[in-house]
Amino acid sequence: MSEQSAAADGSDAGSDVYQDSFIPYINTWGRRTNLLAVLLSLGPAVVLLTVFDIVPPSQAVIGAFVSVAATFGIFWVVEPISYYPVLGIPGTYMAFLSGNISNLRLPCAAAAQESADVQTGTPQGSIISTIAIGASIVVNTTLLGVGAFALVSAFQAMPELWQNALESYLVPAVFGAIFAQFGRDYPKVAAVGFVLALAMTLLLEQGLLNFLPGYPLYVVIIVSVFGTILIARWMWEQGMIEAPDDS
Amino acid sequence: MDIANSRWLWLSTLPVVSVVLLQAAIFLRRAWNDGKEMGLSDDQLRSGFKTGFISAIGPAVAVLVGMLALIATVGGPVAWMRLSVIGSVAFELPAAELGVSQFGYGLGDEGITETAYATAVWSMTLGGTGWLLVSALGTPHMEKARQKLGNGKEKLIPIISSAAMLGAFAYFLTGEVTTGTPEAGSVAVGGLVMLVLLRIADERDLQWIREWALGVAMIVGLFVGVALQVTVGGGW
Repeated sequence: MSEQSAAADGSDAGSDVYQDSFIPYINTWGRRTNLLAVLLSLGPAVVLLTVFDIVPPSQAVIGAFVSVAATFGIFWVVEPISYYPVLGIPGTYMAFLSGNISNLRLPCAAAAQESADVQTGTPQGSIISTIAIGASIVVNTTLLGVGAFALVSAFQAMPELWQNALESYLVPAVFGAIFAQFGRDYPKVAAVGFVLALAMTLLLEQGLLNFLPGYPLYVVIIVSVFGTILIARWMWEQGMIEAPDDS
Repeated sequence: MDIANSRWLWLSTLPVVSVVLLQAAIFLRRAWNDGKEMGLSDDQLRSGFKTGFISAIGPAVAVLVGMLALIATVGGPVAWMRLSVIGSVAFELPAAELGVSQFGYGLGDEGITETAYATAVWSMTLGGTGWLLVSALGTPHMEKARQKLGNGKEKLIPIISSAAMLGAFAYFLTGEVTTGTPEAGSVAVGGLVMLVLLRIADERDLQWIREWALGVAMIVGLFVGVALQVTVGGGW
């Protein structure tokens, strides 16, 4: 910072352009494009509805949405706020539109700021991270598009044993891996969550939850998620767990 | 599931992916021009672009491997769209699972109905809009929101977030564990591989291992699942 204030003229002009021209422009277009994306992301769902006449019962869609909201709703708010200092204003619009933030956008932005020799959190840093995230979006959209096309053909050409295997055994491994990733920081909470969920799943399968209205799967989800949250909170208050330094 | 890979579905994903590219183009152009006015050199701007481009290749290939699980369960077009816009494998798979589970299915089950599939698509779509809406409407106010959140409770946020994640994924994986030996083996091995890889990444400070961890865990889990199915058989 001291180097920049030495070159007072240049840096003042710089932050004026940034604050008075760049950021208002980004806020206008960021809001427009992200809201447009909300509408257009309905594309496949609407095509299923109109072209293929598949109308899922609204009860199921609401049930699914409530379960997703219970699990991920807190991240809708916490993630943008936590990543914002690193991503900057333009980066926040771009990263939450394009996804894959922690594994792709953040590393790209950080590496670019390093190689262009600008500081994180300064206007210059924000310009460079905007450019880097833009470049990363071009790369991953193209790569995934080509890859998806090729992988679909490869998948359909596979023998049935492997098709079944891919459908059945990739997903559990992902669940196990992500559970382990979060459980690493909080093994006690992981144990609590696992016992709660296992107990509830067994109760459901034994039909012991049938006294509840509808298909009582939602109870399993609610008890697993909120039960774990409440117990974790209690453990934290008791000093049994604490957040790792770099979360 | 011919519908899941139909031409119509591919077409339906193009508009939203175009918006992502359009936004990237608009922001890039403006940042480039204003960056010059702010005194950044052509070299700095070019090196920012190049580094962003190159750094994206490794993680993007890793995402591609993770995409296999989504392609196998919800088809190519939806997998592509969900991973180019908003999502990540860690969100989309559970969201899809929560969709089909409304009908008592698990992802990848034999004979999932079209209705259950459509519910999974709705579930991923509506669930993903949360981030879009918050970033679209909230970004200009982020600074204030951060300060408000910082009132002593901020230490609890990572704990509550992780607990929500652990509770949800515990529910997902117990569903798999109770299905049969191969699924249980895949869960356990996927988790173990992840733990080992993250530990190595931490000890040696290797970022690329972190990027590949999920992809590798998935593939090893797949092979263990197949091995158990062939030797022990499905079910319990």
